[in-house]
Amino acid sequence: MPEAKNKAVKQDFEPDILVFCCNWCSYAGADLAGVSRFQYPPNMRIVRVMCSGRVDPSFVLKALKEGADGVLITGCHIGDCHYISGNEYAKERFEKLHRIIIKQLGINEKRVRLEWVSASEGRRFADLITEFTNEIRGLGPLKFY
Amino acid sequence: MEGSVLVIGAGIAGIQTSLDLTELGFKVYLVERTPSIGGRMAQLDKTFPTNDCSLCILAPKMVEVFRNPNIELMTYHEVKKISGEVGNFAVTVLKKPRYLDETKCKGCGDCATKCPKIEVPNVFDMSLGKRKSIYIPFPQAVPPVYLIDPEICLKLTKGVCGVCEKVCTVEAIDFEQKPQDIEINVGAIVVATGFDMPAEQLSSRWGYRYQNVVSALEYERILCASGPFEGHVLRPSDQKEPQKIAFIQCAGSRDLHENVPYCSSVCCMYTAKEAIITKEHSDNSDCYVFRHDIRAYGKNFYEFTQRAQDEYGVKYFQSKISSIEEDKDNNDLLIHYEDLKTGKFSDFKANLVVLATPLVPTKGTEEMAGILDVELDKYNFYKERSYFNKSLSSKEGIFLCGFCQGPMDIPETVTDASGVASQVAMILNSVKFNEIREKEGIEPEREIKITDEPRIGVLICHCGINIGKYVDVSSAVEYVKTLPYVVHVEDNMYSCSSDSQIRIKELIKEHNLNRLIVASCTPRTHESLFQETCVEVGLNKYLFEMVNIRDQCSWVHMNEYEFATDKAKDLIRMAVAKARLLKPLTEALLDITPNALIIGGGISGLTAALNLASQGFQVYIVEKENKLGGNLNDLNILYPIHEDSSKFLNEIKNKVEKSKNIQVFLSSKFKEIKGYIGNYNVSIIDSKENTQDVKVGTIIVATGALELKPEGLFQYNEKNKNVITQLELEKKLKSDDKSWLDGIDRITVILCVNARQKKGITYCSNVCCGVSLKNISIIKELKPELEIVVLYRDFQMAKKEFEEYYRDRRKESMFLRYDLDGQPEIVKINEKPEKYQVSVFETNLQDQLQFETDLVVLSTPMVPPENLQELAKMLKVPLDKNRFFLEAHVKLRPLDFATEGIFLCGCAQWPKNIQDSISQANGAAGRASRFLSAKTIKTSGLIAEVSQERCIGCGKCESVCPYNAIELIDSLLDFEEVSLNVSKSFINSALCKGCGTCAATCQNGAISVKHYDFDQIYAMIESYLLE
Repeated sequence: MPEAKNKAVKQDFEPDILVFCCNWCSYAGADLAGVSRFQYPPNMRIVRVMCSGRVDPSFVLKALKEGADGVLITGCHIGDCHYISGNEYAKERFEKLHRIIIKQLGINEKRVRLEWVSASEGRRFADLITEFTNEIRGLGPLKFY
Repeated sequence: MEGSVLVIGAGIAGIQTSLDLTELGFKVYLVERTPSIGGRMAQLDKTFPTNDCSLCILAPKMVEVFRNPNIELMTYHEVKKISGEVGNFAVTVLKKPRYLDETKCKGCGDCATKCPKIEVPNVFDMSLGKRKSIYIPFPQAVPPVYLIDPEICLKLTKGVCGVCEKVCTVEAIDFEQKPQDIEINVGAIVVATGFDMPAEQLSSRWGYRYQNVVSALEYERILCASGPFEGHVLRPSDQKEPQKIAFIQCAGSRDLHENVPYCSSVCCMYTAKEAIITKEHSDNSDCYVFRHDIRAYGKNFYEFTQRAQDEYGVKYFQSKISSIEEDKDNNDLLIHYEDLKTGKFSDFKANLVVLATPLVPTKGTEEMAGILDVELDKYNFYKERSYFNKSLSSKEGIFLCGFCQGPMDIPETVTDASGVASQVAMILNSVKFNEIREKEGIEPEREIKITDEPRIGVLICHCGINIGKYVDVSSAVEYVKTLPYVVHVEDNMYSCSSDSQIRIKELIKEHNLNRLIVASCTPRTHESLFQETCVEVGLNKYLFEMVNIRDQCSWVHMNEYEFATDKAKDLIRMAVAKARLLKPLTEALLDITPNALIIGGGISGLTAALNLASQGFQVYIVEKENKLGGNLNDLNILYPIHEDSSKFLNEIKNKVEKSKNIQVFLSSKFKEIKGYIGNYNVSIIDSKENTQDVKVGTIIVATGALELKPEGLFQYNEKNKNVITQLELEKKLKSDDKSWLDGIDRITVILCVNARQKKGITYCSNVCCGVSLKNISIIKELKPELEIVVLYRDFQMAKKEFEEYYRDRRKESMFLRYDLDGQPEIVKINEKPEKYQVSVFETNLQDQLQFETDLVVLSTPMVPPENLQELAKMLKVPLDKNRFFLEAHVKLRPLDFATEGIFLCGCAQWPKNIQDSISQANGAAGRASRFLSAKTIKTSGLIAEVSQERCIGCGKCESVCPYNAIELIDSLLDFEEVSLNVSKSFINSALCKGCGTCAATCQNGAISVKHYDFDQIYAMIESYLLE
């Protein structure tokens, strides 16, 4: 049995986190975390898309509106994209999303993050989820004023 | 004649050959002596020069092999006997006992968890890690099936234990299994047995016996995230992070004393890669490379070794190692070496030493060659029938692929693989598709209308205890029953087992389901299995949805039963929300015109044409010059076997002329190329402006390369007749008039002219060293008393043939080494006869030398022809930064473009010699003939679609599409009396890959991506958060 390193203890506030994974790299990285039995907090739910380039800003905004406390978009490292350049457009769009929308809405920009995880980075995936979950926990529930 | 092929060895060579062979219409028996396919590539951490994760790019191919109905995967089998001849070989294969029934084993690993802790070194981890007696070689092994090591199993050795049998819920364990002989008949055989890296056979001076001296393959495992140290750079003795890591090149290769006279070809590159990855992993580690020559044999490889130095601070020493010793107190290593730049002997202290040990033919090669009755060469690699076609063994019908024929890297291996497949197709052309099996028993597809009320069935898997122990499956079942549109839910032990497939079919019929959800493991490995099951019972495969509650739930929340159960319920609910909105999708069938266009009539284009023509396809060759042959027309004698170039070319030209299937267009170019895979309309225009239109299904680009003219360098100009390029020397040597040699007593050859620089041309052209050495030997034959001086930087003589060739030439001339900081200088000192003075700083001697010479020969790199941009635009394919064509993936798809249906080979891709050009041409022909053989191509249903009403024709989608699948098309829009010309975006379903980047880019929401559409993803988000 793997060490219960990241064992969750019921806290006052448990965030809801949505994670977008691309089919080829980060989803595979998440699978590898599983195969390797790397434990991480159970707060997040993954939505699989074919490419991080598919993640429309409206998905993120919708999730925040419906009550997600944090959204994580993940994809292949730059240069590794299965679709050659989809992740570069994801990055471009994400920066715009951050710059314009998140700030205008007064949402802490730490709540929406873009990260690259390769298919071999199971450890990194688990660590990333742990770290992101803890960060969102620290920020508390997302409230619109 | 048999329509099946035996492939021996299931590394990347065997895998790629098998996949290509089945597409060309042959059944494959893939025999692998270890328990998993994947070979050496599966052990690598990353691959140069892109530093792609090796397993990530290999694993999809492994799964493809596993699922292919026309590949009979025979892992843990060995070939014992072969008789017969081409077309009809009888083969005996030994099936070794795994001591479990592989049709029952689900790969859950419960057995290994309970197996007593008697451990042996894990061979896959190069013995750095441990495994138990029941084991799987590595987590991603294919087939994903365990086996028992009879040497240490307590039950098999002592008759006690047997705990695995007790815990295995599917009763797969079978201690009674015995070896078994299997007889098969095949039409051809492909040998792809790969290499070994036996560091223990090196002489003691390399210090391999010390704990902290590891071979490069061991170091790959150390670097690998799934390796014994989880990707932390640690040294074996104390598992501490080493600060100084020394990489020793040529640790045994190119060394007569070690019995490895040849260059292993790939070490310079993987060393640079390992050093770069080390620097990326750990800030505290410094990397030092003790090098001999830098032999970066491949596209943009030399620049990669430079990046290691310039960007990552890896330090390179040009050196010779005398010995490596251990400091007993701290297990550090002391390297005694000679610095070849200063001539000084020094000592270097390192915490870890990585040896680039020789790569040799795999163990058992001699026995296998005996069984096959084929010849080996003097290094024990399989001997090729002719230097110019390294895929053919000494025996008809037996082919060679990959490292078993000689040192090569992965791109060259997969090139070989595709080439071998196409050459098998040439000899077994008449029995293509004879043994190919289509899936049987498929019911016609049931029509599901959008207006039909969804009837969703959900299957929740226990996966033995893998899910069931950490998630409350029965409470999930009860919960899912309450969800809207769900008409049936049940749980089972293994959803993937064959009896479950029967159950799924029953359920779909019994409950008239029009959507199916399986909540189990990952869709990456199992989605297509369930989709196939749905299709068999007439349910469109896109009405299936999979939920990952194992890899991404039970396995990562093993101590949180409640949370994991909640998460599983949420994930299934989200899938139900999406499934409601799933639509049946169609996969369009496109017809393929069985003709090919080949652009360029050099050796590559001609070879590809002959290959395709003999497979029965119509081929059009378009050549811009007025004759076929390209660069071969100017060459004299071909190295390293000294064959007459004209004779060689004439033989090929004769074959082309005789072929009924080849039509040649000389002095021609293109007016227009339009269309997509399977259906290109090509308009060819000749010098007299006559046009002719042809229809083709596929295109091969073989536009070649030219020798760079070094205008203004080293006195090269119009006036100086005795400063010439290597190609100009070839022409002189080719002409019958040899009077130009009169009065010439000394020739100076300068290598790397205008190549491998910091600015300008940065690459190594790979072929110039070989060409120069060949010309030296020819001149020496013509005029033995002549003196030849060669000024070189590194000798690019990778490959098994070349080291010895180089060694022989060293006896014939004087070799002086210079480096980039001290370029030679040429001064003209006499007009008639021309005489030049050469000054150069010789780095080995550390001395400035000056001498006179009568003739200067400059070796310049090959460059792409001018105006390729125009052609590239017409074909919608990219060029790289050096203006060569850019392939789809430098490692695993070197002959494909990202645009399907177009391929490349020869110097259009990168400068290469004739052997490599021919190998690539056969490979490209193989890649192309996969489509041509198929007659039709099925497109994926997962594609994007434009709503014409919403599209405003802004063109953003067109600019982001990586596959050129989107085009703006003008159309007339009528408004009562006025007609407006408007642009609308149009997506070609044959080219779209469904990534969805266009949909997220479109600001009007005009593009939907089937199966991942806006409403479907919105529904998942809402369903997650609204509960």
